[in-house]
Amino acid sequence: MAQRHPAEPDALRGSIDMLVLKALSLAPMHGYGIGLRIQQISRGRLEVNQGSLYPALQRLEHRGDVESDWQATENNRRARYYRITKQGRKALGDEVDKWKRFADTIALILES
Amino acid sequence: MSALKGLAARFKSVFATSASESRMEEEFQFHLSMETERRIAEGMSADEARRHALIVFGGLDQHREAMRDGRGARLLADFTGDVRYALRAARRSPGFAIAVALTLGIGIGVNGIVFGYVDTMLFRPLPARDANELVGVFTVDTRTGAPGLLAYEDYLDFRDHSNAFAGLAGASGVPLNLVSNGSSGASAADMVWGEMVTENYFSVLAMHPALGRFFAAGDAPVGGNADAVLSYESWKLRFGGDSSVIGRVIRLNGSEFTVTGVAPPGYRGIRTFGFWPEIFVPVGMHDVVMPGSRTLLHGRGDGWMYVVGRMRHGWTQQQTERAARLFAMQLSQAYPATDANFGITLVPGSGGFDHPAFVKPRVLTLASAMGLFASVLTLLIICANLANMQLARAAARSHEIAIRLSLGCSRGRLMRQLVAEAMVLALPGAALAALFMRLGPRFESYAVPHLQFRVGIGATTDYRVALFTGLIALVAVALFGLAPALRASRPRLAPSPANVIGTKSRGARPGRRVGGVLVVAQLAMSVVLLVGGTLFVRSMMLARGMDLGFDPSNRLLVSVNVGLQNYDESRGRRFYDEVLARARSLPDVVNATWAFPVPFDTYGRGMALYAPTARTNTREGVVVTNASVVAEDFVKSLGLRLQGGRGFTLADSAGAPPVVVVSRSLATRLWPGRNPVGARARRGGASGPELLVVGVVADATFSSLGDRTVEHAYVPLRQNYAPWQTLVLHTRADALGALPRVREIIASVDPTLPSFGAMTLRQGVESGFATARMAASVAGFFAALALLIAAVGLYAVVAGTVAERTREIGVRLALGSTPGGVLRFIMRGGARLGALGLLIGLGGAIGVAKMMGGLLYGLSPSDPVTFAIAPLTLALVVMIATYLPARRAVRLDPIAALRSD
Repeated sequence: MAQRHPAEPDALRGSIDMLVLKALSLAPMHGYGIGLRIQQISRGRLEVNQGSLYPALQRLEHRGDVESDWQATENNRRARYYRITKQGRKALGDEVDKWKRFADTIALILES
Repeated sequence: MSALKGLAARFKSVFATSASESRMEEEFQFHLSMETERRIAEGMSADEARRHALIVFGGLDQHREAMRDGRGARLLADFTGDVRYALRAARRSPGFAIAVALTLGIGIGVNGIVFGYVDTMLFRPLPARDANELVGVFTVDTRTGAPGLLAYEDYLDFRDHSNAFAGLAGASGVPLNLVSNGSSGASAADMVWGEMVTENYFSVLAMHPALGRFFAAGDAPVGGNADAVLSYESWKLRFGGDSSVIGRVIRLNGSEFTVTGVAPPGYRGIRTFGFWPEIFVPVGMHDVVMPGSRTLLHGRGDGWMYVVGRMRHGWTQQQTERAARLFAMQLSQAYPATDANFGITLVPGSGGFDHPAFVKPRVLTLASAMGLFASVLTLLIICANLANMQLARAAARSHEIAIRLSLGCSRGRLMRQLVAEAMVLALPGAALAALFMRLGPRFESYAVPHLQFRVGIGATTDYRVALFTGLIALVAVALFGLAPALRASRPRLAPSPANVIGTKSRGARPGRRVGGVLVVAQLAMSVVLLVGGTLFVRSMMLARGMDLGFDPSNRLLVSVNVGLQNYDESRGRRFYDEVLARARSLPDVVNATWAFPVPFDTYGRGMALYAPTARTNTREGVVVTNASVVAEDFVKSLGLRLQGGRGFTLADSAGAPPVVVVSRSLATRLWPGRNPVGARARRGGASGPELLVVGVVADATFSSLGDRTVEHAYVPLRQNYAPWQTLVLHTRADALGALPRVREIIASVDPTLPSFGAMTLRQGVESGFATARMAASVAGFFAALALLIAAVGLYAVVAGTVAERTREIGVRLALGSTPGGVLRFIMRGGARLGALGLLIGLGGAIGVAKMMGGLLYGLSPSDPVTFAIAPLTLALVVMIATYLPARRAVRLDPIAALRSD
């Protein structure tokens, strides 16, 4: 019963978290904007199921990596805006380092 | 910081479910409309744009569920579901729920109360700074090892010259005639018990007054510091907690004292098992408080001071004791006449500073440990029973559980459900325990005797007790909730081929046998307690109905202590005569006399009598008997029965030959087989003054149960002046109605003399029985509790058998067994356990009853009524506890039962 909703594989879930933090590290944004920005950053190469951003955002908020509150958009509509916290930036840095090391290792292996 | 916020967000989302839901919906809708608008802007039709937006968003419901899982809403929903399910189950079997609530509640509550008492006894927190530095200081006879109290001059040397302590203070109990003008202007007078304390007493204890100030050490010459400190309780009770009491002048033993302070709340003197001093006065006022007495402030060797020392900072008790012993040796060399075998022993503060001869710290610890052990054991047994019960219920539901397991219900999920069920069942029990514990401290006021001073350890339920009990309750729930949960969720209960084919054995599981042994032990224990309780209660009833030898009806008692008021003998005699004459002239008064002690008095008095024919085993050939000093007319006033000779008359005055009246059994002891009237006894020993026996009265009971010595001597007040007497008034009607006029009479003779202990003789008798009554009700309560616990245990075992043998019962029914036959078959098992328990229990009960023999009044330890009541009660309980689950077996539908496994 508990397994009704198969979770994304860990790597993907981790990468969504990192992408969200990366997107928010530039400026506070609402969920829709975060989705757009991820698409922009990845130049469309990464197709994320848009709805799965929200469980990720909730997770990050519970973890204390992001904060949120209601704000008005440019078109004066109410939207939930997310902001990265100090702890979130640190988590992002750590995560990026880890990925870089991982990528370097892979590259090392492949190039040898 | 943000981690904290995150946590807050999580809590908020768990508990504010609806808010989180609406926030989620709003975010989703915002997202979809933005995406739709973007696609419309790219040229799609509105419908198509909406459809595409939904597609790229992914399954809405799937994301919703993911978010709900993420915020723990699922756990909560499951939990409330479990609780609802458990509540439904509890409603279906209310008897079970009530049994759980009762046994668990009482079990936990008893633990809390026992812990509270132990906590107060062993770890009583003194409202003093660094209380762990304080030790009780007692003398010890280096030859015999017998502990004793310090004398004042030895105390002074220790305080000023030994260098063993950072500070040394002493206290000694003293009766005080207290007269104060209350805030309302009314004068209150009573005799209270206080303590004379050394001036440094409160500074050695490093205590802070609740109000005002304490005595300043050595700031006044001896006799010049007429200061008094009230105990907190006394301040509340006698002065209404009025803060203007500071500076007020009160009279103590006829002299004026100024109230300077109020001791901190809960301070009841240094000793745990002492009386609660109401007023503290400096020892320098000794000559004013106790005129004529020289014993307290003088002398060496055996003394009167309870001494408490503060150890030097950083010193251990061993170091301090070594130093003190060294100094004690110097003292014994300096004063060989008095301090020959002088030694010192220290009692750690945790021992309650009590006299080590009366309250042995080891015994105290042992008793506490046993009390705690017994109460925890009781709770464990209760939990075992309830666990058994839950197991039986789980076995009955094994089918359901197996199905749920096979349908993919996770084991953790199942355990959560069973634990939720245990919690629902335990909650009313915990509430009952809390209620029970609130009443706990009140039990003490019933248990301790009602005297003219207050005693008792004053147990309260503080946060430590609450914490301990909460912990105990949690452990209990875990025990009886988790154990069956673990077992029930084992895959063993899943349908196995053996079960399906039906070759399951007859249910002789080892666990069942253990349960049976446990139940037999419980039943045996409850038989023992039942017999003990019944003996106590019956003895109590007999004692209430016994012939006291005096008549307690319509008798008023009022006491005075003229000695404390500095009366000399002639003034005292004039006072007694005048009060008695005026009391006799009151309307409605039949008779009046002075007597001390009166029957069922708080205090006692002894006398040694010598007669050559006496049957005695004392070395001096004397008989030590209880004695009262009485005035004329005492026989009629107390309602005693004269069996020969006469009572006292005015002629038995100071100059006349000394006379005595004896009780029947004292006469038999002193002059066996002879008419005592006209016989002579010598007082104190063979060479003592001669007393002529002028009368014999029937034996009268002067003290409550247990002490059944009815040997009593009565001597006339006119020949034996005593400064403390009780006026006994025999009235025609309601005795208390005469009290205001008696008070008027005493006040008219001496307005500053307090009278105290005003009550009817009947009330005195009742309070004399209070302790016995309490013992009887405690014994009865525990017997009932044991019976209830054992009944639950038996019920659980029988219910377990029924659940496990459902299939067998089905077969029996299908093969033609009548319901009555099945009922008998099931009940036989329960009856067998009951009979075994009864047999073992009766054996124990006979032993316990023999040990109780000395405590019983008018009852043989092998009282046939008791030994008939106990088995009958047990049989009844066994029948009920077996019949209820057995009835379920009879109601089984044979077809369903056959399919049940």
